[in-house]
Amino acid sequence: MQVYLPIAEMSVDALLLLGIGFGVGWLSGLFGVGGGFLLTPVLILIGIPSAVAVGSGANQTLGASVSGLMAQWRRGNVDVRMGTVLLIGGFVGSAAGVQLFAWLRRAGQVDLAVAVFYIVVLGTVGALMVRESVRAILRRRRKAGAARLHEHSWMHGLPFKMRFRKSRLYISVIPPLLVGFVIGVLSAVMGVGGGFMLVPAMIYLLGMPTAVVIGTSLFQVVFVTANVTFLQAVQVGSVDIVLTLLLLAGGVAGAQFGAAMGTRLRGEETRALLGVLVLAVAAALLWDMLRVPEDLFVIGPVP
Amino acid sequence: MKIALVAILALTLAHPALAQSVAPPSLAAELSTRRIEVTTAFTGGEILVFGATERLIHDGGDEVVVLATGPTTSFVVREKVERLGFWINGPSARFNRVPSYWALAGTRPVADMLESTERAELRLGLDLLPLVQLGARRPEFRTALADGKQEAGLWVDQVQPVEVSGGRLFHARLPLPATVATGDYRVQVLLVRDRRVVARQELSLAVVRTGTAASIADIARGAPVLYGLACITLAALAGWLGSVLFRRG
Repeated sequence: MQVYLPIAEMSVDALLLLGIGFGVGWLSGLFGVGGGFLLTPVLILIGIPSAVAVGSGANQTLGASVSGLMAQWRRGNVDVRMGTVLLIGGFVGSAAGVQLFAWLRRAGQVDLAVAVFYIVVLGTVGALMVRESVRAILRRRRKAGAARLHEHSWMHGLPFKMRFRKSRLYISVIPPLLVGFVIGVLSAVMGVGGGFMLVPAMIYLLGMPTAVVIGTSLFQVVFVTANVTFLQAVQVGSVDIVLTLLLLAGGVAGAQFGAAMGTRLRGEETRALLGVLVLAVAAALLWDMLRVPEDLFVIGPVP
Repeated sequence: MKIALVAILALTLAHPALAQSVAPPSLAAELSTRRIEVTTAFTGGEILVFGATERLIHDGGDEVVVLATGPTTSFVVREKVERLGFWINGPSARFNRVPSYWALAGTRPVADMLESTERAELRLGLDLLPLVQLGARRPEFRTALADGKQEAGLWVDQVQPVEVSGGRLFHARLPLPATVATGDYRVQVLLVRDRRVVARQELSLAVVRTGTAASIADIARGAPVLYGLACITLAALAGWLGSVLFRRG
């Protein structure tokens, strides 16, 4: 069944979009991440223009994260204070990211920039995830003692300290602001919520307890993707609501099945699998840039 | 009926002046539709041009050429170049006022039908389109644009001939792909006799976006702030609703 996407200005099979939404939703439910980092590249691979894939991807991630945030909020797992500090950084970052995106579009290098961002970020995060989870699996086998809870580093010497009661932290606001900013920029350029980077950053960089990490990261993701959606719609005009809703319809169904299955997997194995998946997406995009293109010339509209 | 015909015949014979005004035109053409609607379910269509000539259509006698052009837009053609092993967008050429749709059909190849000077004047040929190229100057960019447009089915260069039936009736089908631009389209029907254009008729049709697709695109362009807020609200609502519907257990 063909459906015409009004902003992308092309006809796409609606069942294909529902299927992609379901598949990505299933994986995101399984691993507990938004799935935007998978969705945007897949959309680009099926021929959706990069700009529309990024704008609608952020919009889809917003929808997919709302129900998770509501569930976490009810359980009291959201550190609103930490979330707000991250969000201030995130708003500034996503505004800067959308400007960068609009500039790249004028320069005709959006495709390159989106691909490079994905390859670098996914490659790094995937490699770190695999390394960390393989270590954890090995440690469990050896039944070694637990790691230290709190490591004091240079970060604890920074000024503007603030008490985050829910996270049981007394740290400077500079690291969370910076983390929020970087995730905001990546969110705008890559069309992702950034949960897959935010969660490790909160655990390893900020030292937040795992219980509040998911809820707080969802808090940040929902508001940053809302901001990105708004700015992309106003500045670039690349958010396709028909595309978003079709992806969401498949996505929310898939997420529930994935989440049910995820409870049966062990934490370390899940993280290792997610790391491999992230690396595979990065490798596919890298291959796409290295091979000789089928068409040496590309025709596009005037930006 | 017979009496009436005889009466008209008698009248026309009697008045040469009247005979001229009633005489059939050398060319008459019409379109099957003057309006093509692009809805959310649009998968493509066609422009059907039909008509009749006064004399018999045959090679070297009366011949028909149909040319359709869509609204003009600008395009950028970018060349992919290898830098440090990566294929990235390199030099680019900008083409202004390019017909977004262009289709030509004739009862036989147009190049055999008309002198090259007349063909150039009427721009009957993809190579004769007046394209202004800005930026990179190499002719490969123009070739790439023409190839890309033909591959997309937006430029149709004599893929199907004008069909003739009964000696004087002709029709041409010009395919419109799903990606066709909206706007006003111009269809020219030319009558060629002795390697010269002796009559021409101009017809127009409109390709319009209708239904939800049209209103979404209009709102997104006309009121982007409102559209952005609506996208946020709709996505949040859909996500929440979906989780309620599909919640298991």
